[in-house]
Amino acid sequence: MTTLSSILAGGLQGYILVALLLFLIGLGTVLCRRSILLQFMGVELMLNAANVALLAFARFRGGDVQGLVFYLFIIAVAACEASVGLGLVVGLYRHRHSTDTDRADALRQ
Amino acid sequence: MFLIFALITLAGAVALALQRNLVVAGLCLVLSFTGVAGLFLLLANPVAAALQIIVYSGAIVVLLLFVIMLLNEHQEEAAVQARPLQRWVSVAVILALGAGVLKLVAGSPLLRRLDAAPLPAVLTLGSLGDALFSEHLLAFEVAGLLLLAAMVSAVALVKRDL
Repeated sequence: MTTLSSILAGGLQGYILVALLLFLIGLGTVLCRRSILLQFMGVELMLNAANVALLAFARFRGGDVQGLVFYLFIIAVAACEASVGLGLVVGLYRHRHSTDTDRADALRQ
Repeated sequence: MFLIFALITLAGAVALALQRNLVVAGLCLVLSFTGVAGLFLLLANPVAAALQIIVYSGAIVVLLLFVIMLLNEHQEEAAVQARPLQRWVSVAVILALGAGVLKLVAGSPLLRRLDAAPLPAVLTLGSLGDALFSEHLLAFEVAGLLLLAAMVSAVALVKRDL
């Protein structure tokens, strides 16, 4: 079976498969865990899955440097997202003394 | 090599999804990000691998671990109420999505054609700099401004009285 051997040898389909599995595990973490910090880690995993797919396509489409430039901007936005998101988590904990998303279900105190 | 790094990445991610202790989950995230950096090396992209190590497994995870230790909440709290329906629906959605995309990936003739193309040389920092400062200068400056705005807003969010 050519698809399986291509995946095992590290062909494009192998990278796309790894990116897909990483995305699904991240999605599962966001959907099934209650701690907002674990959900944040799941979002980071999904972002990394997108990065893997992007750079794999950049490589197999002839080493396009635009993919790397795009990856640089994604990393800059991810750093912003991490700092602001963790600031929001700290603010949430100050108001409710909990990082459980089920307990943060009302806008007022 | 590809299999080793792919397994490191996926094992770190699975351990993160199943982990009870938040600090250990953060360390599993480092493992997963390091595996992704190895995959980038195999994609002949050392610049992206170095950035991955520095920004993701360095800066972002350190910030995350600081917040986890600052909040003093190392375990997930007990559930207010069990939500079995939501849990099963989310598992079903993930499985359906996975099966659909897997069928697309395995059956795509375009992916197989791209796979057969000759592989290019290693991407260097020089070519990245050329593309960044000749074609994307405005976007580069906007990204710098965005980082500054994020820094100021993070300080404003956590400061008690401005």
